[in-house]
Amino acid sequence: MSKTLANNFKAAFEAVSGHAYLVRTQAEVCDLILKIAQDAGAQKVALAELPDSVIDEAAARCSANGMEVLRPPYHSETALGEIDQVQVGVTGARFGIAETGTLAEVVFDDTSRLVSSLPRTHIGIVHANDLVETLRGSAVRMTELYKENPENIMVSYISGPSRTGDIEMILTLGVHGPEHAHAILILGDDA
Amino acid sequence: MSTNRQQRLNDAITKSIEEPKQRDALYNCMKRGRDKRTERLLTLPGGAAFRDEVKAIKDRCIDKQEELLERFIASSEARGCQVYVAKDGADAIAYCLEVAKKHDAKTVSKSKSLTTEEIEINEDMEAAGLSVVETDLGELIIQLVHEKPFHLVFPSVHKMRDDVAEIFAKATGKPVEATIESIMPVVRSYLRPIFLNTDIGMTGANVGVADTGAICIETNEGNGRLVSAIGKVHIAVMGMEKIVETMDDGMAMVLAHPVSASGQLPTTYVTWMAGRNPMGADGKPRESHIVILDNGRREMAKDPIMRENLRCIRCGACMNACPTYGVVGGHTFGHIYPGPMGITWTAGVHGYDVAAEFADLCVSCGLCKEICPTQIDMPLGIAKVKHRDHQKNPPSFTNELLMAAESAAKLGCATAPFSNISLGNPAFRWVMEKVTGIDRRREMPPFARKTLRKRWTSQIDPAKVKRKVAFFHDIFVNYNAPELGMKALRRLEAQGCEVVLPEQQACGYPYIGYGDLDRAQNAAIYNVTRLAEYVAQGYDIVTTEPTAAYCLRETYPKLLPLNPKAKLVAAATHEYFAYLMELEGAAGTNTLEGHTYGFHCSCHQRPLGMGTEAMDWVRKHGGTIELIETGTCCGMAGTFGLKHGPMGYDLANAVGKPLFDAFQEKKVDAIVTESSVCSIHLEEGTGMKTVHPLDLV
Repeated sequence: MSKTLANNFKAAFEAVSGHAYLVRTQAEVCDLILKIAQDAGAQKVALAELPDSVIDEAAARCSANGMEVLRPPYHSETALGEIDQVQVGVTGARFGIAETGTLAEVVFDDTSRLVSSLPRTHIGIVHANDLVETLRGSAVRMTELYKENPENIMVSYISGPSRTGDIEMILTLGVHGPEHAHAILILGDDA
Repeated sequence: MSTNRQQRLNDAITKSIEEPKQRDALYNCMKRGRDKRTERLLTLPGGAAFRDEVKAIKDRCIDKQEELLERFIASSEARGCQVYVAKDGADAIAYCLEVAKKHDAKTVSKSKSLTTEEIEINEDMEAAGLSVVETDLGELIIQLVHEKPFHLVFPSVHKMRDDVAEIFAKATGKPVEATIESIMPVVRSYLRPIFLNTDIGMTGANVGVADTGAICIETNEGNGRLVSAIGKVHIAVMGMEKIVETMDDGMAMVLAHPVSASGQLPTTYVTWMAGRNPMGADGKPRESHIVILDNGRREMAKDPIMRENLRCIRCGACMNACPTYGVVGGHTFGHIYPGPMGITWTAGVHGYDVAAEFADLCVSCGLCKEICPTQIDMPLGIAKVKHRDHQKNPPSFTNELLMAAESAAKLGCATAPFSNISLGNPAFRWVMEKVTGIDRRREMPPFARKTLRKRWTSQIDPAKVKRKVAFFHDIFVNYNAPELGMKALRRLEAQGCEVVLPEQQACGYPYIGYGDLDRAQNAAIYNVTRLAEYVAQGYDIVTTEPTAAYCLRETYPKLLPLNPKAKLVAAATHEYFAYLMELEGAAGTNTLEGHTYGFHCSCHQRPLGMGTEAMDWVRKHGGTIELIETGTCCGMAGTFGLKHGPMGYDLANAVGKPLFDAFQEKKVDAIVTESSVCSIHLEEGTGMKTVHPLDLV
């Protein structure tokens, strides 16, 4: 099931000008992060909303290849200026939506929102087991999230790179936010 | 209509017709929106039926609006937001300025918010010394040249790359090459410091969810995320009607909105904000203010016609379908809100008088209602705007005349053949144009000496009667084309129908179009009362005129909401070919073999089944026929296109041009349509033979 959903997600995410990858291991995730960052010519990479082990490994790989790595915790006074200087932002998504190729980023600290919206390139990571089928269906997941978190909570549904058609209806990417959007889906053992 | 207004609209129409570049850009934008929406609907389970669900959700939430408002405020405050209910624009602006003052704010970055445009907050914030920047690219372009949106979703669609390059060259003080690839990096580096230095991030809200206290901001650019995350303070200005009950309701809106606007699945970024996050692990709590705007919304809820407006989700689909908006654009066809819903919404929030300034551009084709994801009856709302305006500015003589078309037709028939000789005389037509305002170039259908009512006698053997039909002939078939009527009715007889012609008046749809709701209601009462008697005796109501079928089925129940007979009549009304095909079945002839036709579906026929049965009927007689359409009106819009001048003939032809071209490109033998008035317009516009299906065989 999660394999089918992952493939649907991939097709939908690519239909909105994103790039999606299906992988199985943390090592593959970190390989991809490094490769995308290298292809983007990144000197600085920022990470957020990911398990410590992924952050450690990704940071190690990128640093070993000459990149500067920013990682949480971010500080209120400096985060904005620092994250603005980053070429690649990597964030974890709490769940995804297969039908629409959507990453759902759930955050309680807005520096994470900066990591996915300021850099030229954004990489979102989600477990294929956390994919729901449809946008409408995601309401169930959202309702639970709001119940579990009675105070501030920001959820961003992200489907592809930042786009505009405001000049002659011609699709242009990356005028406001990321120009390149990558989604890495981690398949479970059952898929 | 007041003379000033008429002159202004006429001048604007003429100017638009003479500016093909701007008009083509708008037309292409609208057509793309319509086509993409149609494509997307094919992939959605249930297709266009999603409209029923969205409408039901909005209706439920509007019914519970006050309760949901309280619940939203409570849930949102529980998450740390400060909520303020503003009675009008001035109240909302005063609140926002107070917040700005408290935080000693200097800069405001906005993501697109029609609600803030509605109250014209930018002007007041600038006057208070704040630097205000619209960060949505389309909005930024028009802000830099101090214009209002040309289109709801694509506010700067009338600005070409050369214009935009010039605008940014001026804004940055550096030359900008007029290519998209050169302009976009300039915009990115122009906006970035604005985002980074935001004191107040101001957004609208596409949805507010009562259950969770979350608001939702939909953008493709991601500017909504940036301003709401970076701003030291966040202010959302949200119309009261945006509040829905559950997350599921909210998701339905998040889908309905982009699908209707442009066929897109959710916008690239859908930001659900509940409370406000700190910035950084050591960050302090930050403020989020939600200003919920009334500004006439509660008043709208009290009026059965205007209440439907509150279902509006601001997708802009109605303006993608509107034929006249497509020629003149949002600066003429709009106040702040453009397009069809711009008229009714403006009436609700800026006043009926303001709306009346452009309401006459609506030709009441009804396409807005058909494309609207919540099925708002904009034509009826707009009729109300026109109706109220007539208390101060009585309708023109021409509009009065066209509303009284049946009296003219009676006179025409009574005086035929003289009336017809006169109609054929150029000198008379010149005089007619001067006196009546009907364009002399229009080939008016001749009047029959003997009307259908006088000619018709039933010939059916009572023993063979299988069904009983009460025929609603309306004007054309009775006064101008009784032979067509006779053919139609004999065919029904041949299928075992006993046909009677009940006492009736013209359907009265022109009263809606020209804004006389009293007379529209009177016509509805007259016809419903009489037709209901036949329905009670087991008669089916059949009509050959699409607008009449639409009126009986769709409009009368709206005009007479408390009259159960109106629903009865609506349910018993059938379009002629749908009825005939059911009786005749598939058996046909080869009469039309080797002939190819293009079918024109009139606007009012769209919700009735797109003329499918009429086309099938041509096919079963061996003809080849296909629907040829542009997705909008042919321009005739009932009798609108008969009128001389920009607000009539000229506009009708500008609207019709793409359709005329489409028919001419197809090289069909003839155009086939069931609508009597579209037929006149198409024949003149294309120079092609235009016939009713029954006249083919």
